[in-house]
Amino acid sequence: MPPRRSLPMRLRSAWTLLYLAIFALSGCEPLNKARDVLTKSDQERKTIKLGILHSQTGTMGMNEMSLRHCEVLAIEQINASGELSNVDLVPVVKDGRSKSDIFRRRTRELVDVEKVDVIFGCWTSLHRKAVIDELDNPTDLFRTEPVARNSAQPHKPLLFYPLQYEGFEVNRNVFYFGSTPNQQILPALDWFMSQQGGSRKRVYLIGSDYLFPRTANFIVRKYLEKQSMQVVGEDYLPLGHSDFKDSIRRIAETSPDLILSTINGDSNFYFYKQYYESGARPDSTPIVATSVGEDELRRIPPEYVHGHLAAWSYFQSLDTPQSQEFVKSFKRAYGLDRVVDDPMEAAYTQVMVWKEAYKRAKSSDPLKIREVLEKGLEFDAPGGKIKVDPKTHHLYKKFRLGKTGLDRQFEIVYESKDLIAPDPFPSFAFPGWECDWTRNGLTKGPMPTIGL
Amino acid sequence: MFYWIYDIPSVALALIITGAFVAFSWLGTIFIRPFLRVFLRKRADINDLIGYMLSCFGVFYGLLLGLLAVAAYQNFTGVETIVSKEASSLSALARDVSAYPEPDRTNLIWLLRDYTRYVVKYAWPAQQQGMIPQEGNTRMIAFHEQLIRFEPSTPGQEILHAEALRQFNNYLEARRLRLFAVTTSIPGVMWAVVLVGALMNIALIWMFDMKIVNHLFLGGILSAFMGLMIFLIASLDNPFRGELSISSAPFQDILTHLMEE
Repeated sequence: MPPRRSLPMRLRSAWTLLYLAIFALSGCEPLNKARDVLTKSDQERKTIKLGILHSQTGTMGMNEMSLRHCEVLAIEQINASGELSNVDLVPVVKDGRSKSDIFRRRTRELVDVEKVDVIFGCWTSLHRKAVIDELDNPTDLFRTEPVARNSAQPHKPLLFYPLQYEGFEVNRNVFYFGSTPNQQILPALDWFMSQQGGSRKRVYLIGSDYLFPRTANFIVRKYLEKQSMQVVGEDYLPLGHSDFKDSIRRIAETSPDLILSTINGDSNFYFYKQYYESGARPDSTPIVATSVGEDELRRIPPEYVHGHLAAWSYFQSLDTPQSQEFVKSFKRAYGLDRVVDDPMEAAYTQVMVWKEAYKRAKSSDPLKIREVLEKGLEFDAPGGKIKVDPKTHHLYKKFRLGKTGLDRQFEIVYESKDLIAPDPFPSFAFPGWECDWTRNGLTKGPMPTIGL
Repeated sequence: MFYWIYDIPSVALALIITGAFVAFSWLGTIFIRPFLRVFLRKRADINDLIGYMLSCFGVFYGLLLGLLAVAAYQNFTGVETIVSKEASSLSALARDVSAYPEPDRTNLIWLLRDYTRYVVKYAWPAQQQGMIPQEGNTRMIAFHEQLIRFEPSTPGQEILHAEALRQFNNYLEARRLRLFAVTTSIPGVMWAVVLVGALMNIALIWMFDMKIVNHLFLGGILSAFMGLMIFLIASLDNPFRGELSISSAPFQDILTHLMEE
């Protein structure tokens, strides 16, 4: 019989076993995670809320859903890349319900309750102006916290706006990622006046009856005063209008060789259908649209739009690695049948540009982000290189003209050689108006009569 | 209050809870037992007396733990049933709207896709943190708006539309029940009774008079089992939290299907 070991010996063996067990378990992943949770040794992560304010319901719901998708996609990509170390970006999505007063209310919630430093949002100019006004002049009724009367610098987030628009607007806290008329409409007219575009001389202006078409056409008329092209007719129809027979008859009577369409929304389906049924064809009188992108084309039978043109800064068919990667990642996230278009690309880009600014500012503070952007930040967007204009807070962008194919995609027929500088106040339309946020800010001239 | 335990992997949590009970039992056996012995050793039949007490107490405490475990399990399976019903309704709704004419079909499928993606990527993680996700409601309103905008033009479309509306209402009901279940859990007062009961149980074990090694061994086994039972109840409680929780897999399946529509 072997001699019994003494108690101290046995205890020593027990401790050795315990140490060995602890050593073995220290390599165990669940226990390591438990240690992190219990001791909170994991590095503290910072959360930054990004406001996303679009209509999810109401008449603009379907259109703005695509913009929201691109903004959320960009946020998810930034989070997944780990580019902003120890920072989690959290999208705070609010529904403007296609109503200006709801946009105001949601803006107030994003500022007062969610305390966001930036809002990516809006589609229509009406809603954008409502949001800007709410940021500049808060409505007491919508405030969810008492007004800080002693606060010298009230919290005011930046607004990033992704749509092409009519211009004639600047705001120190707003960055415009869409094209202005001098980057979208005027280059299109220049091309049609050139030999390549058929040296056209007679244009008919047709649009929906609201701010953007009225102001854009005002700029067009002023621009064409000193050009070889003349405006032979001008027509405005309510949003959602479906009977274009009278307009098409007037178009036939005035014999234009180009139609510039600023019609927005579902009316485009009826306009193209009735134009096609009238026997008119794009070979003789093409329509160049400023509000018909790939997303709108899916609602219009291809034969109606085939051969007509659209003026944008970005088309899905753009054959660059950045663009293809953007299209691929969007389809992966939201479905193979989805398409991307110019406003969606701008919506995606604006989040990426904010990220670049954040990296340089090392803060989400609106003033610091603005400071970085006002240094003229450049970025390789899916549509190519862009540059923030420090003077006007708009973007230097390329212009592209696309011809509609039967596959509901655009074939790019022209692309500007260089980036075009933004000009929200073209001097021929708004004399005396100019903006330079790096110097005197906005200088106002006489108020033009746009005819709204 | 103790929701952080759901961030710990199940294996580690089981080891931690069981280990804590055993450690507590052993510490008491080593440090408190000597004081108790001063009072209790005077009686020769003290072990019999404590044995009776412990048996009696164990019946009541065991009943409490057993019933709680069953209730937590039933709640867990109940919520699991709600989630699978919800997913079935959503799947049927997707099937219905995929038969709509264009462009309504595409719009409705995209809206359902948007909603389902939100449920998988944002609502489920929020539920796992005990938060009731809010943004799905807006997406459902958007879908409803688009659905009621459709005007059936044939008898077949009328039947299809009526069926889609019925499925939509079924879906809303199941969704509401799922959201109610997010914060369903065993009340704090019950947890307090369970923990105090466990302490009393262990305290009774300390009162036994036996060799220290035997005491540590037997006390350790009993405490470890109590710890395991409490781990089981805690894991089944809060059906959306922790590693042992209801997963979003049914919704992920629907999303995969919708992405290919």
